[in-house]
Amino acid sequence: MKKILFIMKKIAFIMIVIGSFALVACGSKDEGNNTPGDTTNSNETGNEDNNEKNVDQETDNSKDSSEDIREEIEGYTFVYNNVPIPLNQKAAPILQDLGKEQSYFEAPSCAFQGLDKIYYYNGFELSTYPNQGVDYISAIDLMDDSVSTEEGVYIGSSLEDVIDAYGEGYTEENGMYTYILGETKLNFLIENNEVTAITYLAIVEGLE
Amino acid sequence: MMKKILINVLAIGLAILVLLFFQELFMPKYMSSIHEGNLVEEYYDEEKKHDVIFIGDCEVFSNISPVTLWEHYGITSYIRGSAQQLIWQSYYLLEETLKYEKPEVVVFNVLAMKYDEPQKEAYNRLTLDGMKLSLTKLKAVRASMMEDESMISYIFPLLRYHSRWNELSLEDFKYLFDKDKISHNGYLMRIDTKPVDVIPKGRRLANYQFGDNSYHYLELMTKLCKENGIELILIKSPSVYPYWYEEWDEQMVQYAKEHELTYINFLKLADEIGIDYGKDTYDGGLHLNLSGAEKFSLYIGQILSEDFGLKDRREDDEYKKIWEEKISFYYAMKEDQERELKEYGYLKSYGAMVQNIENQ
Repeated sequence: MKKILFIMKKIAFIMIVIGSFALVACGSKDEGNNTPGDTTNSNETGNEDNNEKNVDQETDNSKDSSEDIREEIEGYTFVYNNVPIPLNQKAAPILQDLGKEQSYFEAPSCAFQGLDKIYYYNGFELSTYPNQGVDYISAIDLMDDSVSTEEGVYIGSSLEDVIDAYGEGYTEENGMYTYILGETKLNFLIENNEVTAITYLAIVEGLE
Repeated sequence: MMKKILINVLAIGLAILVLLFFQELFMPKYMSSIHEGNLVEEYYDEEKKHDVIFIGDCEVFSNISPVTLWEHYGITSYIRGSAQQLIWQSYYLLEETLKYEKPEVVVFNVLAMKYDEPQKEAYNRLTLDGMKLSLTKLKAVRASMMEDESMISYIFPLLRYHSRWNELSLEDFKYLFDKDKISHNGYLMRIDTKPVDVIPKGRRLANYQFGDNSYHYLELMTKLCKENGIELILIKSPSVYPYWYEEWDEQMVQYAKEHELTYINFLKLADEIGIDYGKDTYDGGLHLNLSGAEKFSLYIGQILSEDFGLKDRREDDEYKKIWEEKISFYYAMKEDQERELKEYGYLKSYGAMVQNIENQ
């Protein structure tokens, strides 16, 4: 009996030591939801909302004004028909304000439930990504000169127009001029001194 | 003195057993969803007699049916695929596989070349947690880790998953010691259909050049195959999204030419394969469904059989016995999926989502 108690005390002591080590080693991971196992339950709940594509289900978001959101976060914002579209914001209220898209594409990820979505509008495409069951704006691609950035640059503008509008604080690689503001990027592809592509991008880990 | 040592050893042994028990309990089981999480692990229970090993991401494990390759060509194959498998993970999985068997051919899907850096812990876990602990696994982990990840959490996953204590479900207990098989030699079956509607065009890029890290591991893979007398075939699977740029394709054509390898872009051969993107995909063109996978497998099987001289083993009794069981399981699952589709309108138990009628 004594020996059994002695063994059990030893086991308990070893487990307390290892358990303490585990708690120290894990640190901030406890707050995160990065592993498949952690996200399964929350995504399964969120999927039903996503599948419905029913913006009314995100009741909190539908009450928010997109303009209010724009003021809170520093970053590039595209505006279409007086609807501000800031990056990295919840997509639902913005999509509601934009109205029905011309067409739509969705791309499930390799494993995770939750979809990357692309909404096609007149002159631009809007992409979203899922995060814990909620869609956020990840990118806006301007497709033709019927739309322009807030600063007046459009497909067909000159490099000079871009620099006049956004300044010299860019990085350039193979003709792609990139400006960064907050957690957003604004890319201008310049070919033969002319803007041929404009993309707003949210800076998010794991997002292409 | 001896007694004390024995007691200490026993105590430590029991403590380790208890911790291992909790580790197994807290690890995600991937049985009711995200079945991809079990793909890497399932290989170890296999009879290791494969003439072809496929490696890569979901464009291999969703698009190729080893049972079809067996039934029509007698080709034995296994898919060592996983979700968003990165090229360095492919390399190390191949390195590990070669410790168990030596195939005639390795087929690698080159979409992963677009990722030059580690992407996301969640995808790392799907590939790496299933690997048996070995030096190769440690190298794979080191190559894959995000900044905030730690090697120790891959050696002792309890350090990562202990936070699941309040999310444990019946599934965690039911599959604690054993799990049901979910793949067919690494192929994840889906019989449902969602036709291609819109195919997004790729965004213009500043730089189409694949990264140095990607090329480094492609070189290692090429060298490993050559050293082992294995034919390496590079492919681009016929999935229409993510977008495969012409500039990327040219790089692979060039690489294959320089290294005397075969590279086949099956996207360009979709018509010849007979793929109907209105019927042969379960998610709008990203992955083929069973119908599409079988068509693709028939096509690639002919190439493997005729151009690479792979043996038809259908008359070999030893292989026949192994594959008879696999064929039964394959068609039983097909039947079960047909039943679920009829009953629920979607593949409830197979990782599918409720179809959004508005988007069909």
